[in-house]
Amino acid sequence: MKQLTIDVGGTFTDCLVLEESGQLQRFKAATTPQDPTQGFFAAAGKAAAHYRQPLDRFLGGVEQIVHGTTLGTNILITERGAKVGMLTSKGFRDIVEMRRGIRNLHGSMFDLFIDPYKPLVPRYLCQTVEERTLYTGKVLNALNEEELRAKTRLLLDKGCTAVAICFLHSYANGENELKAKRIVQQMAPEVYVTASHEILPVWREFERFSTAVVSAYIGPAITRYAARLQGSLKQHGFSGRLLMMLANGLVQVVDECVDRAVYLLNSGPAAAPSAAVHLAGLHDKMVGHRIHRNLLSVDMGGTSFDVCVINNGEIPTTTDAWVGEHRVAIKMVDVPSVGAGGGSLAWIDSLGLLSVGPQSAGADPGPAAYGKSEEATVTDADLVLGYIPGDYFLGGDIQLDLKRSHEAVARVGAQLNMSTDESAQSIFTTINTVMANLITEVCTNKGHDVREFTMVAGGGGGGVHAAAIARQLSIPIVIVPRVAALMSAFGMFTMDLGLEYARSCARRQSQLDFAEIGALYADMRGQAAKDFARIGISESDLSYRATVEMRYVGQFHEVEMELPGQELNAENLATLLQNFHAKYEAMYTYSMPWRAAELLTFRLRVTAPPRPVEMAVPARATAGVEAALRGSRQCLFDGSSARVQTPAYDWERLEPGHSIRGPALVDDPTTTVLVPPGFFCEVDAYRNLVMRTE
Amino acid sequence: MEPIHPITLSTIWHGFQSLCREMRGMVSRTSQSYLIATLGDLSVGVWLADGSTVAVPEGLPGQFLGTHLAIAAIREQFKDDLRPGDVILTNDPYHGGHNTHLPDWGFIRPIFHEGELVFFTLVRGHQMDTGGSFPGGYFPNAYDIIAEGLCIPPLKVIKGGAEDVDLNTLIYNNVRWPAEIKMDCNSMIATSKFAENRIGEMLRRYGKDTVLGAVHQMMDRTERAVRSIIAAIPDGTYTGESSTDDDGTVLDEPVTVRVDLTVKGEEITLDFSRSDAQRQGFVNSGYGATYARAAAAVIIFMDSALANYHNQGSLRPITMINPPGRVTNPNYPATVGASPVNVGNQVLESVAEALSKARPDRAIGAWNKHRGDYTFAVDPRSGERYVRTTFDYDGSAGAVWGHDGMTGPTQLNTLGSVRRGSIEEFEIRFPWRMLKLEALADFNGAGRWRGGGGIDWRAVNEGSAGRMATGSSDGDVTQGKGAQGGQPHPCSRTIILRGDQKIRVKPHRMVEIKEGDTVVKLSAGGAGVGDPRQRPVENVVIDVRDEKVTVEAARLIYGVVLDPVSLEVDAAATRALRSVPSSQRYEAVVNEDSFQVELKPVGAGAQ
Repeated sequence: MKQLTIDVGGTFTDCLVLEESGQLQRFKAATTPQDPTQGFFAAAGKAAAHYRQPLDRFLGGVEQIVHGTTLGTNILITERGAKVGMLTSKGFRDIVEMRRGIRNLHGSMFDLFIDPYKPLVPRYLCQTVEERTLYTGKVLNALNEEELRAKTRLLLDKGCTAVAICFLHSYANGENELKAKRIVQQMAPEVYVTASHEILPVWREFERFSTAVVSAYIGPAITRYAARLQGSLKQHGFSGRLLMMLANGLVQVVDECVDRAVYLLNSGPAAAPSAAVHLAGLHDKMVGHRIHRNLLSVDMGGTSFDVCVINNGEIPTTTDAWVGEHRVAIKMVDVPSVGAGGGSLAWIDSLGLLSVGPQSAGADPGPAAYGKSEEATVTDADLVLGYIPGDYFLGGDIQLDLKRSHEAVARVGAQLNMSTDESAQSIFTTINTVMANLITEVCTNKGHDVREFTMVAGGGGGGVHAAAIARQLSIPIVIVPRVAALMSAFGMFTMDLGLEYARSCARRQSQLDFAEIGALYADMRGQAAKDFARIGISESDLSYRATVEMRYVGQFHEVEMELPGQELNAENLATLLQNFHAKYEAMYTYSMPWRAAELLTFRLRVTAPPRPVEMAVPARATAGVEAALRGSRQCLFDGSSARVQTPAYDWERLEPGHSIRGPALVDDPTTTVLVPPGFFCEVDAYRNLVMRTE
Repeated sequence: MEPIHPITLSTIWHGFQSLCREMRGMVSRTSQSYLIATLGDLSVGVWLADGSTVAVPEGLPGQFLGTHLAIAAIREQFKDDLRPGDVILTNDPYHGGHNTHLPDWGFIRPIFHEGELVFFTLVRGHQMDTGGSFPGGYFPNAYDIIAEGLCIPPLKVIKGGAEDVDLNTLIYNNVRWPAEIKMDCNSMIATSKFAENRIGEMLRRYGKDTVLGAVHQMMDRTERAVRSIIAAIPDGTYTGESSTDDDGTVLDEPVTVRVDLTVKGEEITLDFSRSDAQRQGFVNSGYGATYARAAAAVIIFMDSALANYHNQGSLRPITMINPPGRVTNPNYPATVGASPVNVGNQVLESVAEALSKARPDRAIGAWNKHRGDYTFAVDPRSGERYVRTTFDYDGSAGAVWGHDGMTGPTQLNTLGSVRRGSIEEFEIRFPWRMLKLEALADFNGAGRWRGGGGIDWRAVNEGSAGRMATGSSDGDVTQGKGAQGGQPHPCSRTIILRGDQKIRVKPHRMVEIKEGDTVVKLSAGGAGVGDPRQRPVENVVIDVRDEKVTVEAARLIYGVVLDPVSLEVDAAATRALRSVPSSQRYEAVVNEDSFQVELKPVGAGAQ
């Protein structure tokens, strides 16, 4: 039976079909923001048409669909979520509105002219009730149920369709929150209710409350969407398993997701790193040894550029994320993003310097070349430079107007006394620098030398820019996968089905009670067994990864460490501590073995492996690479003013074993790859392009 | 040399900016001081060998915008004896340190390229202790600065990469919690090493001439932009003044900073000559720290589009006149302990007031005053001594032209770069249980744009008896001003509840804390900008709905009459109220019995 992934992005809905034979088929449809299920079924419809089957029959033959969606992120960014009420501990009404300060992350300290934070729950919908739990887990004041009912009634009267219950220290004991949740559910069964400790059972109230509120804000829309999608799929003959792609890099059945809607943020971008790991692994296997130990997964779309640093095969996660102005503290795949993409606008800043992005022309009006706007974008510069084909953009679906691009790029150049060609080259270099800076910042933050990494480039724009960025950073190898333009959709084939659990319990190394910690883990395993049994997966199929967040006594930021064994005990504690000092030293160039450590949040990641992805291997090339030539374009390179006739190959016709010396272009209906002068490009066994500097 | 390609220029520029962000992140992640790691009482930056400011995107102005003065003194002091691997520590406001107060320890590292001194970096954080009479450095009534703590003039704690063991032993032997202080020193020194590596890579990649050429070009570009903004401000002399409640030694007598700010063509001169004479108490602000805060106040009036570009070019058009013997430039050995708050905040506020008159479209209302204390006692859970301070109990941001102030951010003096802590973390770390942290209706300056909300903070002491110093506190009698017709923020109160007793604690005092005491801090929010009667009626309705403004204040202060239940506006009555100038102004005053905020005619509430 076939397997499907469908990734609903901001501009396009990508659909990949993995056939029984291991062949991959790629389909793209326009995203339909009003009702994303339309784009979903349009993409699936294109796939069905490819097999000359009616949609019902096609979907009837699909065993599993993994689905990623930007729905949650879009609702949050565009403020179209539910009317949320918040019930919180008496005396602490404004925790979320106050945040931790005036700015979220990157605002300049010298700019005070900014709007105050507008919380998702306005103050009149944030109500307090008498109750209090201490950090020890002891309930100091029981929940005042009468008051809770009155406050709930008030929220319902005001029209709230979702309620977030956020009590202090609920991570240590969720009793009061659960009691409140049950009462609200009894009073209003149709209302979406979230208890903060169920979303994020981790200390620090602002972060937990904000995350719970975000979850409640997008929850009702996610619930409706999931129901509609499941209903439509059933109607269309689908009887397989539908899995959702989560922010933490796992996939999960739909019913497990709707109660933790916040986990659907970043669904999509979080899948690209898995694709990179899988593809690099295949390449290693072909070569026969591991050359791609460290990977940089990059994804350049229309508006944003996402980066993930994968050290030694391990996909990194973070709990420090902000989505727009809102703090989201669940563990997410760490895919930092910058506003750089094909639609990024070129402009002159207040000091007369060329800037590109973060503002984007998006899909509408799009680049000047689309004919609706006059403003120069990266795509316009790429077109002027000859890198992308005017007549074969998205396989010819969109005709690009070179003249309009020329005029737009010339206008930017005029302000800098540059010719049009110089201006286009400057836009190209500037956007590459923006992306290279993000990569440098992300890498050095984690203490890695970027020159030891292999870049795996995806997204519609990744192929044109990857080699140039790699050269700027001295990255030796760039892989552009055959599925580059649908990299997230591909990643979804390779992800584990799973759930994550956490319990906060602060203890110094000298005060550890191993039985207590053992009980925490037993509790988490028990919960996992129940959760997985519900979806028909038995305990014997599960794998566990136990970690703990640690720091030196007195510090405020933790380092996540893997437990040396299934359990923590007096014997392996020494190993854990030794590993901690070593990891700390690797991250920060020094360590403090003379200082005691403390353990704070214990985590358990429980997964069931995905079906193995067996991709078909095409035959090796018999004809020469010339057979794949589709023409040539006049391109500009490296600041030179002379155009170079550059051959353009058809990726569909490139075969394993072919190789190309730059400058060259490789065109495909979904993307173009630029092999700049000085690069040598090989077509590997899966027809991925592997570029190296000569 | 060849002209620098504009792309190289911006690459190098952003390289320095992102380096500073990473430096601040690294210290936060590795230090243990609540102030440094969680609250962000921490500054980093990069300067040229001659002291010119290259990049200062993250920090507290008073901690680092005057670093060029310290660098000049260091070069004079060490002459040719600066070498790769040296790290200089100083916390001294005098003797070439040009620091704020003693707890702010700054690590300055010279950066070399092929044997030549090219840059300096600074990492400066607020240590949990610095020796002296009382932990934390906010000890009122110190006889002189020697009594305030260990004074470290610029000295090499690391020489050519090797720790000076004798000097370090002396230092750690003279502070409380030496192991903890050492952790934070390690964190800051390692961060400066990280910065050295990064700058070295940049120099190797682009070449020294290109990097320095780019730095100079950026300074020139910024200077041109700043000069053109100043040129657009009408020439003239604008005045500003701001006071703190007292100096902690001579009690209940306000101390005032005055500035005469002259705009002439493309330049600004800040003259602090009319400020009060230096004080016996610990509110004196050293020359370097005064310069830093005054310069920061000018910079925030530049256009927002320039916010990411400030460097030496922004400072060149600014001249300061500040004769010795003033509270803004005290003579050694005057005490300075409270000066990051008082009169540091007053320096910034007075310049902001003057510029709000000069540039109304950038008018800024005063933020809350800091309501800090340092409480020193024993945590019964561990038997160990602790010192507790935070910014959680501060009021909120003032309004600026076009924007309400946010509820939550703390102190204009820090430009909002320090953050609130976490209640859950606070209760785990200190033997105090929080009873309340919530905004109070009406407890801020009103305006067309109003200040952020005032704060009601209450906590009960579950630890031992101890002492509480309120040196970092201000605002029981002095109020931060509004701008362009906006109202000042109300007066604040701190009260200890002990059984039936209500004990008022003023700023700049040292008092006893007993087991079971509850500390109540009612901290006013920010001041307003613009006439409150010009506030759009619908915004007043939203504030009443959200219980940020009472129905009474809507009528008396904003001139909006509405039904308390339906929130329906009485349009005719509102029009009538708003059509005539108000004959009587009202302001929020704390009732010290009920702890309620009440509206009183202006003038009636002051005590």
